[in-house]
Amino acid sequence: MKIPYLLIALFFSYTLWSQSPYQKGMTKAFELWEQDETLQASQLFERIAVAETDNWLPPFYAGQILILEAFTTDDKTVMVESLKKAEDFIQTAQLRSRNNPEIMVAEAQLLTAWIVYDSDQYGMKNSMKITEIYKKAMALAPENPRVVLGNAEWNIGSAKFFNKDVTPYCSEVQRAIDLFATFKAKGEFYPSGGKEHALQVLETNCGG
Amino acid sequence: MKRTIFFPLLGLLLSLPVFSQQKISGVVTERNGTPIEGANVYLEGTYDGASTATDGSFIFQTEETGVKTLIVSYITFETLRFEAGVAEMTNLKLQLREDVNTLDAVMVSAGTFEAGDNSKVSVLNPLDVVTTASALGDFVGALQTLPGTTTVAEDGRLFVRGGSADETQIFIDGIRVFTPYTPTTNNIPTRGRYSPFLFDGITFSTGGYSAEYGEALSSVLLLNTIDEPDQEKTDISIMSVGAGLGNTQKWERSSLSVNASYINLAPYIALLPDRNDWQQPYQGFSGETVFRLETKQGLFKAYGAFDHSEFQLTQESIDVVEGVPFGLNNSNFYANTSWSQRLPNKWKLWLGGSYTYARNKVGIFTNQVANAEHSAHAKASVGKSLNNRWKFQMGIEQFLTEFSETFASEDVNLSYGFSNPVTASFVETDYRFSKRWAVNLGLRGTYYGRSDTWKLAPRVATAIKIGDKGQVSAAFGQFYQQPTQEVLKFSSELAPRQANHYILNYQYVKNNRILRAELFRKTYENLVTYPAEEPQPGLPYRNAGSGYAQGFDLFWRDETSVKNLDYWVSYSYLDSERRFENYPVAAQPSFANTHNLSVVGKYWIDSWKSQLGASYQFASGRPYTNPNQPGWLQERTKGFHGLSLNWAYLLSPQKILYVSVNNVLGIKNINGYEYASTPNAQGIFDRRALRPAADQFFFVGFFWTISDDGTDNQLDNL
Repeated sequence: MKIPYLLIALFFSYTLWSQSPYQKGMTKAFELWEQDETLQASQLFERIAVAETDNWLPPFYAGQILILEAFTTDDKTVMVESLKKAEDFIQTAQLRSRNNPEIMVAEAQLLTAWIVYDSDQYGMKNSMKITEIYKKAMALAPENPRVVLGNAEWNIGSAKFFNKDVTPYCSEVQRAIDLFATFKAKGEFYPSGGKEHALQVLETNCGG
Repeated sequence: MKRTIFFPLLGLLLSLPVFSQQKISGVVTERNGTPIEGANVYLEGTYDGASTATDGSFIFQTEETGVKTLIVSYITFETLRFEAGVAEMTNLKLQLREDVNTLDAVMVSAGTFEAGDNSKVSVLNPLDVVTTASALGDFVGALQTLPGTTTVAEDGRLFVRGGSADETQIFIDGIRVFTPYTPTTNNIPTRGRYSPFLFDGITFSTGGYSAEYGEALSSVLLLNTIDEPDQEKTDISIMSVGAGLGNTQKWERSSLSVNASYINLAPYIALLPDRNDWQQPYQGFSGETVFRLETKQGLFKAYGAFDHSEFQLTQESIDVVEGVPFGLNNSNFYANTSWSQRLPNKWKLWLGGSYTYARNKVGIFTNQVANAEHSAHAKASVGKSLNNRWKFQMGIEQFLTEFSETFASEDVNLSYGFSNPVTASFVETDYRFSKRWAVNLGLRGTYYGRSDTWKLAPRVATAIKIGDKGQVSAAFGQFYQQPTQEVLKFSSELAPRQANHYILNYQYVKNNRILRAELFRKTYENLVTYPAEEPQPGLPYRNAGSGYAQGFDLFWRDETSVKNLDYWVSYSYLDSERRFENYPVAAQPSFANTHNLSVVGKYWIDSWKSQLGASYQFASGRPYTNPNQPGWLQERTKGFHGLSLNWAYLLSPQKILYVSVNNVLGIKNINGYEYASTPNAQGIFDRRALRPAADQFFFVGFFWTISDDGTDNQLDNL
């Protein structure tokens, strides 16, 4: 008679304990992010990053949130402080995982944010770096949709600046969209999103 | 029966976390009690934590036990670490110290202009150095639009606050450059030898600089080469005065840049003759290379530059009707290496050295002067950050110059020279009391081998922040420098010259707008005197001169108010007198004038893909001696005016067409007068106005960059 109860108990404990603290923490952080609690989410990623000393994902996401934050804020002081802190996280992520194309994309976004902050000071300097980063990332992961998209978006931005035709890069955006459909994340919590943004880029620059 | 088993089991499972959970709570505030919202509070090594609420309070639960570290982090504050038993972590009152190294923290700005991206507040960015209309791609020219400099149009070197040009020293990566300017002759301005795009950090100090730098009475210019180039590329430039070629290669941990250029003024002068009678117009070849290697915790850099220039012309002279034939042939080699290494416990080691070989052959009439200079500088320093607020650095350095010269004419053959060893050591410390108050203290001790003298020079600087955007800094320092080569070669036992600087500075920075105002006083002692127009062998040389310079500087730059327009205005007021060289009395020297004004503007026109630039310079009249009247340096030339325009057009992302015109209005400037050495029949000394070789200068260049990605260009090369 005891067996069913034991089974229930085991089942119960399975649902409770099957997730490691890491999985729980990461899941919680993503939930917070989805609920727009960006500060809470970033801080939880920061805590996980400090605890998990060889995992690149928590500092990567902590940095990613701050980069997006910097793009959306109007307050220049908040922007600078967010970018400086994001820089630390992205560096930490890079130390934990060298030559990682996902982190390279984040680094390129970070450098782009600095250009938005002060184009006179960072425009020329950072654009060269960004181009170089995408070049390297494309060589490492030519089939990664976020790399393909980031590279195409950057090229579209440059072409627009020089009043050049952007259509050569539209096929790359389309390729990124196709790649999103087939892309398989290498592990749990690995970056997988970006398709919506790709569709948006296609619509704004390539007439849908 | 069923229930009795089920419920306890379930209860046990559910209560498990509750039993072992411990509440951690408290309040996070600033030191003055202001609550901090949004700080991240957590136990180190766990995911347990929370953000603070509006009132600074936080509460969270943990399953941890025993002694743990609680971490509180928040941007612009120093991260707090608090170690205690988890059980005791309730109702904590935690205070965060503000991070004194944030962007808005005070920084000592007395006397110093940061130009480049190595600084928090930059008055000029790297691009400015080369897109300023009047500068013609010379970084020295761009710095001449900053306050504190005097327009000495016919010379081209940096004259700072009533000091002569030799009182400014130039350093590349912390190492002295002994011959920074290209050789030239009377009335033809010189240029900086080094191409601006090798540098990404430029610090220009017009006084009160740190104890690390010596052998400069008035000013130092610190140039830092780029640590890591962004990408591999080839640069091609074709100009109305020559051509250039550059290439950069990158590897995993190292990179190599090579630049070469050839300048020949013959076609230009054939088209637009100037006031000189050139037999052989200026031609020069220069090559530079930078190698960088990243080591595990450090960086090694080697820089080498070679250039050769020659020309031959006949210069007008009031005393010689047929003109003075003058020829020059110069070769210059400069090598510089530095190695910085991070050591454990926040120690940092820095080693560097340079070697210069310069050879000149000058012919005036049938007189031949040939000289050779070997100079070396070696420097070693160690530094440590004791904590976030306190840093110190100490080092030793050795300068050595061996100079030899021969003078040959029909009647005489002379040869002379000197060796000039200087040994110095320095120690300095930076301390930040808070984000609002910082102090730098330094001491420099120098031993001059030739005159067997010791000099100890203290330097002090402090800065206090006033309000959110403003700050006041003050600096005092003593500075020593060996006499110039021109007198050392005839009397090498002279004692070093001395200057004292007193500087008070106000700086206001808001949204890409900078206002700087600076008040200064500088006193000179032990300047070199001698009783002849030019230094020559056998004269009694003494350290009997003295002088002063005082005044104020204003600088305003605004990149925000008008879209796509960036402009700056510099004004300097200078009151300076000195007695040195052959001055019979103390007088305002010919290289110091009272008012200097520069206005520089750049406007980007998006639809034209063009940057238009304009710069206007005004300098009030400079003193000269009129031998027909009693007195010394008693008259003033008329003021100097110059308006320069430039236009950079981006043909494509990698092709730029650049056009510039100096002195668009063709104003006839007069730099001074040359008087006859003997009076004419009426007993009057005749004179000749010293005019620039050409009133206007035109420049056309095409710059093409080839790189894999196709976006890089040479905008920062212009």
